[in-house]
Amino acid sequence: MHVATATPKAKPKAQVAARRATGRLITWAAACLTALFIGGGPVMAAAAEINIYSHRQQFLLQPFLDAFTAETGIRTRVVYASKGLAQRLLAEGEASPADVILTVDIARLSEYADLDLLAPVDSPVLAANVPAHLRAADNRWFALSTRARLVATSVDRVAEGAIADIEDLADPQWQGRICSRKGSHVYNRALMASVIAANGAEAAEAWADGMVANFARKPQGNDRAQAKAIFEGQCDVAIMNHYYYGNMLYGDKPEQKDWAGAIRLVFTNQNGRGTHVNISGGGMARHSPNPEAARRFLEFLTTPVAQQLYGEVNFEYPVNPAVAPGGVLASWGDFKRDELAIESLATLAPDAQMIIDRVGW
Amino acid sequence: MVATFLSYWSGRPARRFDGWSVAAILICLLILGPILALWLTALGDSRGLWGHLVSTVLPRYVVNTLLLMLGVGVLSVFFGVSTAWVITRYSFPAKRIFEWLLLLPAAIPAYIIAYTYTDFLEYAGPVQSLLRDLFGWQRPADYWFPEIRSLGGAVLVMASVLYPYIYMVTRIAFRLTPASLFEIALVHDKSQFWSVGLPLARPAITAGLALVLMEVVSDFGTVEYFAVETITLGIFNVWLGMNNIVAAAQMSLLGFVFILSLLGLELYARSRQRFAGNGKSTLELQPLDLGLKGRIACQAVCALPLLLGFVIPVGVLLKFVLGNPVTDQLGQVIDTVGATILMAGAAALLIVAVSMLLVLAATYRGGIVVRRLTMAASSGYAIPGTMLAIGVLIFAGVVDRAWGGLVGDPRATLLLGGGGILLTAYLVRFQAVGYGALMSGIRRLPDNMMNASRCLGHGFGPSLRLVILPLLRGSMLAGGLLCFVDIMKELPITLLLRPFDFETLATYTYQFAKDEMLETAALPALMIVVAGLVPVILMNNMLRRAG
Repeated sequence: MHVATATPKAKPKAQVAARRATGRLITWAAACLTALFIGGGPVMAAAAEINIYSHRQQFLLQPFLDAFTAETGIRTRVVYASKGLAQRLLAEGEASPADVILTVDIARLSEYADLDLLAPVDSPVLAANVPAHLRAADNRWFALSTRARLVATSVDRVAEGAIADIEDLADPQWQGRICSRKGSHVYNRALMASVIAANGAEAAEAWADGMVANFARKPQGNDRAQAKAIFEGQCDVAIMNHYYYGNMLYGDKPEQKDWAGAIRLVFTNQNGRGTHVNISGGGMARHSPNPEAARRFLEFLTTPVAQQLYGEVNFEYPVNPAVAPGGVLASWGDFKRDELAIESLATLAPDAQMIIDRVGW
Repeated sequence: MVATFLSYWSGRPARRFDGWSVAAILICLLILGPILALWLTALGDSRGLWGHLVSTVLPRYVVNTLLLMLGVGVLSVFFGVSTAWVITRYSFPAKRIFEWLLLLPAAIPAYIIAYTYTDFLEYAGPVQSLLRDLFGWQRPADYWFPEIRSLGGAVLVMASVLYPYIYMVTRIAFRLTPASLFEIALVHDKSQFWSVGLPLARPAITAGLALVLMEVVSDFGTVEYFAVETITLGIFNVWLGMNNIVAAAQMSLLGFVFILSLLGLELYARSRQRFAGNGKSTLELQPLDLGLKGRIACQAVCALPLLLGFVIPVGVLLKFVLGNPVTDQLGQVIDTVGATILMAGAAALLIVAVSMLLVLAATYRGGIVVRRLTMAASSGYAIPGTMLAIGVLIFAGVVDRAWGGLVGDPRATLLLGGGGILLTAYLVRFQAVGYGALMSGIRRLPDNMMNASRCLGHGFGPSLRLVILPLLRGSMLAGGLLCFVDIMKELPITLLLRPFDFETLATYTYQFAKDEMLETAALPALMIVVAGLVPVILMNNMLRRAG
């Protein structure tokens, strides 16, 4: 019987040894856990350091951080997450180690502002480098780059000029030919908000309804996946952010060059309000332990060097009026932007999401 | 008569509060704190959003979630139980290799499989290209091909990585079933599987299935990528799209109710059944040989889930890794491997220790309160990771503010900002995994084990150390391994709660996979599999000895 072998008198030496080994294991494990708790604990930031909460992926951010550290000697530490950082800041309250928040999409920026998680930054540099309509009136957030959301059409199967306005996507002639990522993504939600702002909620919903009826497939994938779908012939028209085109065309993935080659970009509404534009941006955390360094970092991001970097790293347009889009961006020519006050995109976001839910985008 | 007396005397269930009960209750409260924080959030005002949700998207979310649970449940039970049975009961070539290979899909995050399958089955992928070449089709309109980004695709993908949860526990259950019972079935000309194996393994299968279904309900990565509108996807639309954390918390509790009602149903169904062996078969179970056809059939049963859950996805990842220069990425990936193993190992250790305490307290010490609490403490698994992370944040915020007040420094933190909050969150989320494994192990021990030891004059502590714990070694290992692998691939909680500049393989993979840069994501994704390999092999060897 098994239990018999486990009685203490059967193998006393083995038992003692086993007990000692277990004891050692437990001590060791406890030491490890303690080290993790304390060692990983908040290191009170030295003066030459800033902590960043970022919605932008690390590999997009890294070139900026490297340039900043090279110029100022200030080290950077990052937590990257696409969701929930506002809740983290909220929970941390006064104890938060975060200095700077970086994010894309105006709705996310204003969420931070609405939750009172950002501190106003009074900086002549920022005031000079960021146009007034691209920063909060109370200087709590600043746009750092802009991106156009536009229409891509198949080079082979759609005649040039067949689509001029975003509203054209609801035209029944595109039935079964349009691809898009899900409507609830921030990019589409902001686009929806811009249509509501331009045409009113009722017309906007009718437009979305008509466009969804034209979809070639269930909304899925990111913007790059829509270009791929055009290349593969699944659809002829797609909605995408402009920089995906640059990334595909000039990236190091040969197959993606083919996808980019299959599409033509249409800067929409050029004879009307202009193409819908969204921003990436940032602000200083309300309880920043290193406000001085945080301000310097935000200022740095608006300087010509960094502004050019936005174009080089991710083909985004600069916000600094003194900086002209360089290289590839320049070659695409200028276009008319929707001058809608950027904050109304955030205000209208919940309405936009409701329409998106109703039409099933 | 004597037995009744002994079972009363051994204190099962004891009605007093001793150190064990108090410790168990305190730990349960710590684990339940974040879940409670989420409930409290849900009590807030959702600004009338429910009317809109119910009339538009909610019915679709609920139906999709139920279908997904049903599909994944059926398919993963089929994979898990059939492989466990074939491995324990029959002998066939390569059985020993299949035995541990079958555990491997557990190391691959479902969302990674989703990416690889999309690459494999989409229009430009190898399967469709081959079909077009074979049949001369030119365009998508020329033929019909199942869409992988669909409910069916999600069922396939999730079942092929989640079945090991069922396979692992069911295999132990089959192995521990006394051989004499199978012989009785043979004598009476009854099916060994349907009359003995399956009924006796039911608690284990249920424990595994419960984990699988909780994973399904809380999954975000796969359903987002496949655009299957489940409740969890809806939670994110409400939270981030409508800035309504209250309605989002309410919706995550809806998904939670799904799981609890399922578990309640099963508990009710088996409340009057209890099976126990003495943990060791007195007769060695002889595997059967079914002849050539049977051997091939056995291999096919094992090969199918392995092919779907491991060979194809890893093949796709390998194709990317071999096709792209990875040398400049290698150093970073290796650093990440170390951090991942350290974090997942520490958390798995913590969870097994805590689960053990709770299971022992619930089984031998505490009364109904302790038992209910320990069960409730497992419910974190059914809440979507990000929402649970928010619960943990709120809870940690409260704790740290109290701490800051205590030491008189508002910037002092106990949990926030370091690794502590991440460990806490892992504990809250994966407690169910350790608890489930240990509970199904202890359920198989007859009461008289403890009673006999106490009769022989050992106290409770020595009885545990000398009798109970050695018999639970296999379950501890199973629970620890499942936790380790689960934590290693965990994404949303790690993303949100990690310290500065801290990457696990999962977060490192995700930043590229999110942008559909599968080429760059392939190497770290493959490393998750490799890092999972070692514990899987280790564990299989130990299981073989323990079983």
